[in-house]
Amino acid sequence: MWVVYTLNGLYFGALLFLISLGLNIILGVMGILNLAHGSLYAIGAFMAAWTIIAVGMKAPAFLIYLCLLSGFVLAGIVGWLMEKSLIRAMYNRTLEYQLLLTFGALLLLEDVIKMIWGGQAYYASAPFDLLGKINILGNVYPNYFLFVMAIAIVAGLLIWIFMAKTRLGIMLRAVSLDREMATGLGLNIGGLSTFAFVLGSALAGLAGALVIPTTPALLGIGMEPLILAFIVVVVGGLGSLKGALVGALLVGLTRSFGIAIFPEIELPLLFLIAGIILVAKPQGLFGR
Amino acid sequence: MHVKEMLKKPRWVVYLLIFIALLFIPRLLSLHNLMLFEYGLTFAIVGLGFNLLLGYTGLLSFGHGAYFAVGAYAVAMIGRYFPSSYAMEILLPAALFFSLLLSILFGFLCVRHTKIFFSILALALSMLLYALIFKLYYLTGGSDGLRVPIPSLFGISNAGVRRPAFLSGTYYYFLLFIFALSFLLMKGIVSSPFGKALQAIRDNEVRAELIGIRVRRYRLYAFSISGLYVGLGGALWSFVNGHVTADLSHWLFSGEIVYMTLLGGFGILEGPVIGAIIFTYLKLYAMSNTEYWMFVIGATLIALVLLLPNGVAGAVANLWAKIKKGKAAGGTSC
Amino acid sequence: MSNEILRRKFFKYMAAAALSALIMVGPFGGGTKAIAQAKRTIPTTPIRIGEVTFLTGAAAAPFGIPGDNTFKMCAEVINKEGGILGRKIELLSKDEAGGVDAQVKLCRKLILDDKVDAVLGYISSASCLAVLPIADELGGLIVAYDCGTQELMEGQKSPFEVPKFKLGFRSKAHLGIDNVGLALFIKKYYPKIKSIAGINQDYAWGRDSWLIFETAMKKLMPQVKVVKTLWPPLGNTDYTAHISALMGAEPDIVHSSLWGGDAVTFTKQAMGMGFFKKIRMAYSRGEPYPQEVGKEFPEGQIICCAGTHYFLYPPHDKSPLNKWFVEEYHKRYGKYPTYPCYHAYQAIYAYKYAVEKAAKLVGGWPSIEEIADAMTGLTFPTPSGTLTIREDHNGIEDVLVGITKLTPKYPFPILDPKRLEVFPASQVNAPVGIRTVDWVNSWK
Repeated sequence: MWVVYTLNGLYFGALLFLISLGLNIILGVMGILNLAHGSLYAIGAFMAAWTIIAVGMKAPAFLIYLCLLSGFVLAGIVGWLMEKSLIRAMYNRTLEYQLLLTFGALLLLEDVIKMIWGGQAYYASAPFDLLGKINILGNVYPNYFLFVMAIAIVAGLLIWIFMAKTRLGIMLRAVSLDREMATGLGLNIGGLSTFAFVLGSALAGLAGALVIPTTPALLGIGMEPLILAFIVVVVGGLGSLKGALVGALLVGLTRSFGIAIFPEIELPLLFLIAGIILVAKPQGLFGR
Repeated sequence: MHVKEMLKKPRWVVYLLIFIALLFIPRLLSLHNLMLFEYGLTFAIVGLGFNLLLGYTGLLSFGHGAYFAVGAYAVAMIGRYFPSSYAMEILLPAALFFSLLLSILFGFLCVRHTKIFFSILALALSMLLYALIFKLYYLTGGSDGLRVPIPSLFGISNAGVRRPAFLSGTYYYFLLFIFALSFLLMKGIVSSPFGKALQAIRDNEVRAELIGIRVRRYRLYAFSISGLYVGLGGALWSFVNGHVTADLSHWLFSGEIVYMTLLGGFGILEGPVIGAIIFTYLKLYAMSNTEYWMFVIGATLIALVLLLPNGVAGAVANLWAKIKKGKAAGGTSC
Repeated sequence: MSNEILRRKFFKYMAAAALSALIMVGPFGGGTKAIAQAKRTIPTTPIRIGEVTFLTGAAAAPFGIPGDNTFKMCAEVINKEGGILGRKIELLSKDEAGGVDAQVKLCRKLILDDKVDAVLGYISSASCLAVLPIADELGGLIVAYDCGTQELMEGQKSPFEVPKFKLGFRSKAHLGIDNVGLALFIKKYYPKIKSIAGINQDYAWGRDSWLIFETAMKKLMPQVKVVKTLWPPLGNTDYTAHISALMGAEPDIVHSSLWGGDAVTFTKQAMGMGFFKKIRMAYSRGEPYPQEVGKEFPEGQIICCAGTHYFLYPPHDKSPLNKWFVEEYHKRYGKYPTYPCYHAYQAIYAYKYAVEKAAKLVGGWPSIEEIADAMTGLTFPTPSGTLTIREDHNGIEDVLVGITKLTPKYPFPILDPKRLEVFPASQVNAPVGIRTVDWVNSWK
């Protein structure tokens, strides 16, 4: 069973990695903590669920999987709208205003989701069922969870290559390291920030979409992932992509083994880990 | 300041008149509206304290619900485990003590950091408390929460008194009195050299350090005092609500505290008081009239930040200043 | 400045203060509530009933909406037959979502502001625990229709004084019957098991359900060991870690009081992870889930019906009321009624019969206290049998436990009619004034 516990931890960690990655990109490049990040996760979830239900059970497999991508896309679009309308207005203001705006956006988006999709639960398990199960070291394990891990790895690699090798990525890193200098060098801060915000939001939406085959889309589904993403960011370090990976794996594995071995403790255990790390290294594992 | 001097300043006259008017509230409001007003008063105390940290020291915490929860749970847990000590004289000091303790502890961890990390850390610590209250089911009632019975007040037992009678009678005046005290105390703090130092830190941290203000220490003081006030508000609130739950430590509730401070205006002392009262009614009005009340609150928050960044009180003050300027320009000379 | 100007300023400020005081007071003036005269005529205005249940969220589809549907259905039927003593029922349907604190405020608003005649509702034990004390606090009649924790009406030790709330009722039995019933059933049908585990939500409902079940099992089958207990929070959406943990502990039977969307999500995730191939579940309130999940719901699972609420029991030839209820509900809503529906029926009819009984005694429209007196000890027919509400303001019921089996007649597993047990109320309900856990512990 230890194999299963580890795989579960990796699965959960994969999801967390995607959300925290998004949060950290926005935080790193723009210096904004997007409190509405969980709402973007929820939008991705609802969109994916809705499209999968719409195309129906008889649709070809690749189409069903494409529907998962719809969550990624819609969250990105909403992120773009948010950035253009709200964040832009607050560029020259202080941090407090930016936090408050994203908080207001969270409240707004929660009800927008309710307005569009109503208050009921949406179940869409087709992508899970289609992939079947596999036997790993004597344990039956759903292939879908491995699929999610694969997506997270691919996304992580793509982003890493993007950040390290492409021109756009290097510009983004420049902005996150030293905004003033970057402006001085003539980089298009506005455009880069928008790009970062859209990318971060889309990643949150992707994570939301990926849980749909096992979890119903429900109002408020984004709240817990948001808190967990915060824990990952605190543990891993603000703005650090490596930190997001390590933090996510740590939190995922802790949760999986924690529930198996110390069932009473659940959420507080994660905070405890975060607390210990913060006392030892206040900026987080890879923070600056 | 001498009383005569105070009376000469019209501001104090206004305060006195409002206070007198408030004494008549129980006779004028229905029970339901009176309870809402009392909620508003407890949040006004919370806002006063919170604003010391936000408006005067420039630190935004999305985690002050933790101290509210501590104050409220101190009351509820004494009620559950030490019912023979369930008297206001014990409850309030206990609430103050524990909320001060926690805010010093958490504050110490937070003030070492700046801006964003400060906010995240404050949020994370309050969520840690939330998770603890939630999980320690047998101790705290978990997510179900605890009941808050009516306490005895300075020796007068209230056994057998129903909550509506308690709230429309003795408790209202007690609450009003505590509010007035808190207000006066905060005014004193803010006008004191300490208060001025905080504002200096808010405006320019480096310069404040250079002129000899121990920035981190003063931030901790401000954090602790704000935690104290918020805890007091929480304890007083618990008697009105009759019930406490772990949600009080959740960051969304902390967000409401931030909201009402902003709504009233965090540049002025009276701002959060007005914000608290308005928010209480705004939330209720939204909740009873539409199922999309979060949209309403969120939209008004965004509108506030974009259009009225100084809050309602700030906008009124600006308007007043403009009127005065207009008069001075075109009016008669003094 | 001159005195003249000082005086002018003073009056300006006074006016401002007076104006602000007026503004604060104006819209709220209206003062004290008019004291209702205990008239002995029957008003012609409609009866306003606040009805609170989950209209949004995970619990809505399996629980809240069926409950809400049934309240509406019953109100319509009652109104068509002339209402209660000629007065029509007007339902104010409200959402139980939003957390305990919001429910406390909503209930107060219903009683004080909307001035309803009664509040019926509440599925979550958390809501009930917080809301029922308000009944006596504000003098409003509250009938809890679906929540289960026995703590609601019990005191700190046995024996305890009854009733706990003068104006608060529960028109059904509490979770004692589910968990004692499950233990009795397991002893009869699975006497050879060696180990059990539990997965329950971490709040009063889950904690209490497990407590009673574990206590009963210790008495009935002392050789069985508990190998794991899990406590996911209410509303948890990811059970993968929990499912794996249970599979790792290898129990024979897993007890669960998971309800609502949580139960559906858990079951679906468990199905996906091969859980049911190795482990049997015993759902203490499982009756709605075969229909919710559909054909894929695994067979051989133990289901308890929170009473005897099952659309096929009592058999329609024996109970014309059940036959009517099932057919009427199915006609209107396209599904078979589940136990929240039966509970809703019980709540609204408890109110109806209590009012009628009280009216006969006082010769006119009864006051809230008089209705409460009449509801105590009330016995009346329901589609599931007869319901009695005792002096402790709790209902008592028999309990039905069965095993799922797929049949060609229905698109979801039903309870195998060959392995159905009904345990009578006297066997599964604690006596008045004795705490359930103490009663179970006192068995020989």
